[in-house]
Amino acid sequence: MIANIKRFIGSAWIVLAMLAAWEALFSIHAINSIVMVSPSSIAKEVLNHPQEFGAATLRTLLLAVAGLVLGMTIGTLLAVATWLSRFISGLLTPVSIIFASVPVVAIIPILARLFGYETGTVLAIVAIISFFPAFVFTSSGLRSLPPGSDDLFRILGVGKVRRLYHLAFPSAIPQWTIALRLAAANAVLSAIVAEFLMGTGGLGYVFNVARGELAMSHALGASAIAAVISIACFFGATVLERKARSRWS
Amino acid sequence: MARSAGQRDGFALLGMLGIAMFLLAWEVIGQNRWLGLTWPALSEVVVFLFTPSRQTLFLRALSASLGSLFVGYCLGLFAGIAAATLAHTVSAMRSGLDTMSAFIHAIPSIALAPLFIVFIGREHTPAALAALSTFFVMYVSTTSSFASSRQEWIDLMRVLGASRLDRLRRLDIPAATPIIVGGMRLAAPSALIGVIIGEWFGATRGVGVLIINAMQNFQIPLLWSAVVLAVIVSLGLFALLGMLQKYAERRFR
Repeated sequence: MIANIKRFIGSAWIVLAMLAAWEALFSIHAINSIVMVSPSSIAKEVLNHPQEFGAATLRTLLLAVAGLVLGMTIGTLLAVATWLSRFISGLLTPVSIIFASVPVVAIIPILARLFGYETGTVLAIVAIISFFPAFVFTSSGLRSLPPGSDDLFRILGVGKVRRLYHLAFPSAIPQWTIALRLAAANAVLSAIVAEFLMGTGGLGYVFNVARGELAMSHALGASAIAAVISIACFFGATVLERKARSRWS
Repeated sequence: MARSAGQRDGFALLGMLGIAMFLLAWEVIGQNRWLGLTWPALSEVVVFLFTPSRQTLFLRALSASLGSLFVGYCLGLFAGIAAATLAHTVSAMRSGLDTMSAFIHAIPSIALAPLFIVFIGREHTPAALAALSTFFVMYVSTTSSFASSRQEWIDLMRVLGASRLDRLRRLDIPAATPIIVGGMRLAAPSALIGVIIGEWFGATRGVGVLIINAMQNFQIPLLWSAVVLAVIVSLGLFALLGMLQKYAERRFR
């Protein structure tokens, strides 16, 4: 227990110091709450409105997770389909690499206009943004086989489907978990940006409304929850990636 | 799996065919209005982008965004490399800096933008957000690149009596350079995202401002043109830094 606390402080001390400095600033200077608020008053605001923040968080989280699962599934399946055909993979790979290096938030306004300002649009946006890393990383993972192994399998007369299952899948899993880590972080961000722009409920919407009303502690409360979710996603995916790496590579 | 040159050329040709098909689909869908009024044809967007009367609008937006991007990118670049070097040489700082950079990165930039507007002002927020995204990518790639020094060489330098600073200068930095340049390439698109989000929060000019205004006012050709502009900037930087990465790999390996 004490060792755990020590380890936590050892790794988080810079973050804790920054929060403490922010808090201390407020006990020294009197700052108008329209301009800026202290970390403790943000925490108080969240705890005082559990229902509103809880419902918004649940909504954003559900949309982000559903979109992530949808996008990752379609991206992975399409990568496997193109693995089976050289022609299709040659056709699709450069286009998808170009899309994967495009600044994702810039296309959210276009998608919002295209699908209309609705909740379903948030889902579509998250799914589309999760699709590209899944497709690109799975495709390259399915092809980065240990040297000679594919030739060996061919010589032994192993069919395409079994080569996929026994050789390409295991070699693709580490890359796939990288895609998951990238996509999970982007999924939460793009869900919030989409809600912020379209006003369809959720954390992004709560944030935007509170900002308009100059209720800074309320707005930053939504920000803080978003930050906590993102951090949890990031660390969760990092742990998963490390496990996959040690198991499959 | 060694591929012959002919096969590789065929693959590149297929790739170009794929891109051409994508652009053609964009044009045909737009011409026939299959996806409604919000999907203009490629030719309409190109004509809109190159109309002489709109050149000043686009150039002013582009120069504002590129200015913020440059300042933020350079700041993030140096800060990221400096922090990683600090973590590498002073091991007590290591895990604190690791957690801090992951923490900062995980906070959505849309949540940070209002804080920055209060602390450093509207006009500096895009550059600051770009700096933060660049910082994280550079920190991660630099720390992982320092780990790429081969153990035998580290042992050799220690046996020859090299100090920690000598080792950093003669072994770690040359070995790390290709990976750091790779990180510079990855950082470019995320820095641009930072600039665009920063501009959404009330900058007076910039590509992000064009995007958000066009979206809210239903100016579809302008919206698409501004997004295409952002994409061209991102891809251009990505390609440019890709060439730098190839050069670094040849020079230092």
